[in-house]
Amino acid sequence: MSKRWLKSASLMFVGVFLAAACSTGGGGGGGNKGEIIIASDFPTSGADRASGRGPEAGVAYAVQLNATIKGFTITHKPYDDAVNGVHDPQKGAQNVTDMCGNSKVLGMVGPFNSNVARAEIPVANKCNLVQISPSNTNECLTQTFPYCDPQPSALRDASQPNNYFRIAAPDTVQGPAMADFAFDTLKVTKIAVWSDNETFGKGVADNFAKEFTKKGGTVVVRQDFDWKSTNDFKPFLQRAKDGGATAIYAGATSATKGCIPRAQAKGILDAATVAYLGPDGIGDSQCVKDAGDQASNMYFTNAAADASQDPANKDLIAAFSKAFTQKEDTAAYTFPGYDCAKILLDGISRAIDAAGGNMPTRKQVIDAVQNTKSLKLPTGTYSFDKNGDPTGATMAFYKLQGSDWAFVKQFGVGQ
Amino acid sequence: MGAVGESIRHRRSDFRAGLTGRILDVGLYVLIGFFVILLGTKIGDHGPGYFQQILFFALANGAIYALIALGYTMVYGIIELINFAHGDVFAFGAFLSASLMGVFGLSEGMTWGPFTILQLLAVFVVTMLACAALNVGIERIAYRPLRHAPRLAPLITAIGVSFFLEGAMFLWKGPSNVHYPDVLPSGAGVDALGAHIDIKAITDWVVAIVLVVSLSLFTDRTRLGKAMRATAQDRDAAQLMGIDINRTIAATFFIGALLAGAGGIMYGLSYNTSVFDLGFSAGLVAFTAAVFGGIGNIYGAAIGGLVLGMIQSFWDGYFDSAWTQVIIFTILILVLVFRPTGILGMRVPEK
Repeated sequence: MSKRWLKSASLMFVGVFLAAACSTGGGGGGGNKGEIIIASDFPTSGADRASGRGPEAGVAYAVQLNATIKGFTITHKPYDDAVNGVHDPQKGAQNVTDMCGNSKVLGMVGPFNSNVARAEIPVANKCNLVQISPSNTNECLTQTFPYCDPQPSALRDASQPNNYFRIAAPDTVQGPAMADFAFDTLKVTKIAVWSDNETFGKGVADNFAKEFTKKGGTVVVRQDFDWKSTNDFKPFLQRAKDGGATAIYAGATSATKGCIPRAQAKGILDAATVAYLGPDGIGDSQCVKDAGDQASNMYFTNAAADASQDPANKDLIAAFSKAFTQKEDTAAYTFPGYDCAKILLDGISRAIDAAGGNMPTRKQVIDAVQNTKSLKLPTGTYSFDKNGDPTGATMAFYKLQGSDWAFVKQFGVGQ
Repeated sequence: MGAVGESIRHRRSDFRAGLTGRILDVGLYVLIGFFVILLGTKIGDHGPGYFQQILFFALANGAIYALIALGYTMVYGIIELINFAHGDVFAFGAFLSASLMGVFGLSEGMTWGPFTILQLLAVFVVTMLACAALNVGIERIAYRPLRHAPRLAPLITAIGVSFFLEGAMFLWKGPSNVHYPDVLPSGAGVDALGAHIDIKAITDWVVAIVLVVSLSLFTDRTRLGKAMRATAQDRDAAQLMGIDINRTIAATFFIGALLAGAGGIMYGLSYNTSVFDLGFSAGLVAFTAAVFGGIGNIYGAAIGGLVLGMIQSFWDGYFDSAWTQVIIFTILILVLVFRPTGILGMRVPEK
């Protein structure tokens, strides 16, 4: 009984999917040279959907607007790397393996999380699949530092060209930028710093603490928690209070309990006087829910520009909101996701030229993306250095107002 | 209890009686002393009242673990089964009560009227009974048919039930953290010993003390309690004496889950969050607490929970919290090596 139900449901699902695929194909028109697939890989289910769906929608919209390029039909194939609602490196690597096996996939946008990228880069590198991430910020993905483990070179085959690019500012910038903001703008001199002990969280917390100390501030407590088994953050918060901290920095994401200490600080720290700061990982609606009635005086940095700050993007954003109406569609990384897809489409277009109008090879696409020169897009103007990092990136600051994150300011940061 | 349990106990008591056993005991005390001295060196680093404050958090944390640990230990005592689903029954308690708060007219940041305590009490009663019913159902469906099967079989079904419950809760509230409404009057509490005792901590202590005392009175004084103890000692003899074994075992599951349900509410009220797989992480620590205190021993589980909660909070409060889990499980290993029957020991039946 239940099996039959499952069967008919899955048949129906396939039917709907096929119908949708046909309609996009037909709508594009003129795509007679064949199909090129742009894949995307984000955590789009569960707690992480609040982060991952935005850029996925951005990619989907970019492909909608560019349904054909030089006679090729472009389609978007979204992958989900969340398992039980949390981004999962193994799932990501499995998704990339699947993309590698499909010769029509000429590139992917994603992943969202740095630890997923660490698992995916070696797989994508072997099959020369270009990856462009809107949001990976861990510096060790592209740059060599003594403390990196693994080193970027260990993720790549030296005989293959670099296939990994990103447009977000690395953590060497994101953490320190918030440290400067806390010290200079919020006038915080004593701070408590914790992390979820993951690649991203610990990296950004360490860089924050380093810069904050350099500015002359004091880190009164520095803790790394095994986030899965930690329920009680009160001893940490008490320690922060005891040390006289006037702000907390969370090197974590909403899915790794990033904002739960905020709720638990009730009765220990006064939310009005003790600010709660974090990286882009806490900049979503899940964080606001988790913080409960202590959700105020909170800030996060976003390692990409806010597209809505540029008046030139007004029409684009309005059209996007009309086409994508879910709450999660518009998030901090929606337009960075859109821009990554545009960079990829631009690269594919030039690669088709390089291939004499035929289906380009993946190496030709990598070559074209590497040679992206001052491409003007909604969130910035992009070129890449030899590591795949953007030559100029933007850091934006957001503050919680009511139950929404509001833009505070942004500025360009050099590499 | 079965022959295997009996033989393990004999081996353990022989082991403990020997000179080696005494040396190992000394080793355990040396380690505890080392921990206390290590803590002593750090006390001066913090302001006045800090130690007391951490102690209050620790006792509240430990009270919750104690309530969960009791369910593990009671079930183990009576049928020698590690009920892996118990942690998930606890998580179910947290989930259900989060939804019930609204049903009984409680919400975050509400002002407390004279009858608010009764509303909260109603949430406690309904949640605890629902958890108890769930646990009895689990016993009836997944464990009772396997009571005479090889020991591995009910262990596997226990894991299966655990996954089933996690899956059901996943479908119910999704994979994200679920915010638990903070219904207790915010900022309320009393100042004592130079620190502030929050209403959350007071609730945890009161509920835990009331339940543990009731449980101990129940097992010592009532007919059913006596039947439970008799069944734990020797199931066959108890049956010959006219004790209804099935009813007694079901009652054990019922009471264990009452405590887990209360623990779920206390967890939610204290930490203001829950998640579908909460039962795994919290259950692991609570199970450790039960082993630490001497699995099968009710007082041992209560003390074990308290001690583990204290270790966790004090380590977070004074040392590097990246090591907290390592410390807890190192202690588990050391206890198992030095005192295989836990700090209070398994209660050996009197002859």
